[in-house]
Order: sequence, then C-alpha cells, then structure tokens
Amino acid sequence: MTYGLLILWLLSGLAIVFENRTYRLIIYFSIFSLITSVAYFLLGSPDVAMAEAAIAAFSTIFFVICIEKYYSHRENVTQDRIRREPLLRRVGGVLPALLLCIGLFVLVVIHIPEAEAMYYLKYEYLQRFMHEIGGENAVTAIYLGYRVYDTLFEALILVIAVVAVSHMSYFEAIKVAEGTHSEIETSRVAALSLRIICPIILVFGIYLILNGHISAGGGFQGGLALATFFICRYMVYDIYDISVEKVLHWEEMIFLGIIIVTVIAVFLGVGNIIPAAILPFYQGAYLIVMNFLIGLKVACGFFFLFYRYITIERR
Amino acid sequence: MGIFNVENIEIFSLILFFISFFGLITSKNVIKSIIFVMLIQTSVIMFWLKLGIEGNPTPIPPIIYDPVLLENIEYIADPLPQALTLTAIIIGFAVIAIVITMFNTLDRQYGTADWKKLEEAEGN
Repeated sequence: MTYGLLILWLLSGLAIVFENRTYRLIIYFSIFSLITSVAYFLLGSPDVAMAEAAIAAFSTIFFVICIEKYYSHRENVTQDRIRREPLLRRVGGVLPALLLCIGLFVLVVIHIPEAEAMYYLKYEYLQRFMHEIGGENAVTAIYLGYRVYDTLFEALILVIAVVAVSHMSYFEAIKVAEGTHSEIETSRVAALSLRIICPIILVFGIYLILNGHISAGGGFQGGLALATFFICRYMVYDIYDISVEKVLHWEEMIFLGIIIVTVIAVFLGVGNIIPAAILPFYQGAYLIVMNFLIGLKVACGFFFLFYRYITIERR
Repeated sequence: MGIFNVENIEIFSLILFFISFFGLITSKNVIKSIIFVMLIQTSVIMFWLKLGIEGNPTPIPPIIYDPVLLENIEYIADPLPQALTLTAIIIGFAVIAIVITMFNTLDRQYGTADWKKLEEAEGN
C-alpha cells in the first residue's frame, strides 16, 4: 500500500515535469503535497506532517494567485504553450540532462554507505529532555530547548521574508484603503460554510499551540492554523479592514519578545524559568510561552503574506 | 509489519530528487522551476526523516507520554531530524514567497514566464 502511494507520488512529480499548461500544475502539486504529508506521518513524524499539510495549503493559495495574475493580462491562455518542435530536436535538447540525472542517480545509489547510522544524539535527547526541558514532545523540546538558536534564526528569516516581499514588489505605490471590498464576486454558499468552519479553525489553532509540548503540534502548526482562520475571515466578510503595517509591526514586536524570553530562559536554565513553588504542578511553562509567541509570530507573518498577495500582488 | 511499510522510501525520495533535478534544468517556465525547487526540498526532507528510522519499519512518534516507552527506545523515531526539518519547511516556504514576488515583478516588467524570452529581453 505504501508503494502504491509512493508510486502515485512519483507519478505526480513526473506529471509536473511533462505538463506545459501552468494552471494544471496546481492540481498535481496538491496531490503531491497530500501524499508527502501522509508519508511524513508514516515515517513517525506527525509534527512535520502537520506543518507540511498547512504549508502545502498556503503554497497552493500563493500559486493560484500568482498563476491567476499571470493569465489575467493575456487574452489567449494557450499563447505561452511551448512551440511544437520536431520530435528528434526536442529529445536531443533534453537528452544530455536526462543522461546526467540517470548517471548521478546510479552513482548515488551505488555509493550509499553500508555503515550503521549514528543514534548517539537520539538516545541522549530522548532520555534527558523530560528532566532538562520539560514537556512530553521530544521534537518541541529540541527546537525550543537544545536547538533554540535555530528557531531564533528561523523566526528572523520569516521576518526578513515578510519585509522582502513588501520591498521587492512591483507595486510599491499602491495603497489599499481600509474598509474597502474586493471587486471579486464571492460565492454565498462558500461564505456560509466558511462562517461555520471559522470558529472551529480558531479553536483548533489555539489547541495546537497550547498543547504543542505534550502532543503533536506546536507553535508553527498552530500559527499556520491561526493564519488560516484570518484568511477564512477575509473570505467570509470580503473586507480589507486589517492594517497590514500594524500586522508587520506586531510581528516585529513578537519577535523581540521571543528573543527576550529565550535570553531569560538561557540565563535561568531552560525548564526552570518559573520556580516550582509558583507552579508546582506544571513544568512546561517555558514551552507554552515560547510556543504561544512563535504561534502568534507565524500567524502574523503568514497573514501578512496572504494579505499582501490578495490585495496588491494580484493586480 | 503492517500494510504501511516504509522500508525502501529513501529510493523513492532519491528518484524524486533526480526527477525534479531533471525538471529544473530542462524546464522552460519560471513557475515550473519554482515548483521544482519545492519538490527538491521535499525529497531531501523525506530522505532525512527516513535516516531517523533506519532499521525500524514501524516507528513510534517521539512523544513520550509515559516513561515506560523509553524501554523500547530503538522503536522511537529520531526527534532531531524532525525538529530541524520543521524549521527547514518554514524557511523553504518563506523563500518560495519571496521568489513568487520576484516572479510577479519579472512578469510585470517583461510580460512572460519563458526563460528564453526573458534572456532575450535581458540581452537587449
């Protein structure tokens, strides 16, 4: 059964290679991401599977906006299809690349080392993290405890991406007035069903954030769910009533908060940030605070990106 | 050993890596190239996660709600690749968002998504 899934996975990858109509790529890409998420889950990593599913949804939205804009100023959709060249010439064009890829693949497969993988860190982390960091989810304990430096830079990269998107845009001058509606006609059925789903998504996102240290989930996944809530809210009411500059400002403030909490935690010793006398029944307070901050930051960042695309990049 | 056997998943991820590499160097469309970058990232992450469960066909997620689970520690998936790939996925998406914005700007300036036409337009 896994092999069937994986063969479908490869086929969707191959379909992307051989598809020339850009708007069909989105469908293959969605199938591909869905199977990827299932495979991550089968590999024993529900956290990564959840993040991949949410990220796949976001990339699909972004590609849809990008491709819709790409075709919006073309009358004839088939205009950009590849010119039909003779078969021999087409094959001759890709033959070196094909041979290169097959050769590299054979080389890599031959040279896969036979040695045992090293599991030193796995045993150390799994046996120690409950005492040193707290919580029950080893993945959260690693990215908020042992490797918190990586997480800081990941948060920084997200801020940089958000700033870069607003600075690299072609439409520097366009300002969208608050309170205006989009000019797209929305479906009332979709708006009604989203209105029902909306609160469930919000609660689910908060649940993922607050339970990130004892179950699968955490700041990233919960933050993505929160951003999805704001996207649904936009789709229901169809109104630009949130200031993008304020969201960016909030994101930078939250990033500052993450740095401050991390520094305090490192100096006090991670896991003991709240003395046991105050919260004797609870040892994961640091993890909850950090997951909450990271969740808010990721939600702000992704909501900013979505809003930017839907208001300005789409034009 | 259930129906979900993940033992040879690394071969599939290698094949996908080279499929997307082939697509990346032969693609004529900018949007396709962006998607292939995401595919390459996915295959690398899959390979890395597989390394964390080497010799362990039915991995347990690394969520230790009961210390008794630590007695069978060799059946638990390695949490370190998972934590690092979680970071890598978010960073990958941030990069893709920037790249799509750059493509939008490119499309506005030159009005095409074809690499060859873009090269010609740059040459003039």
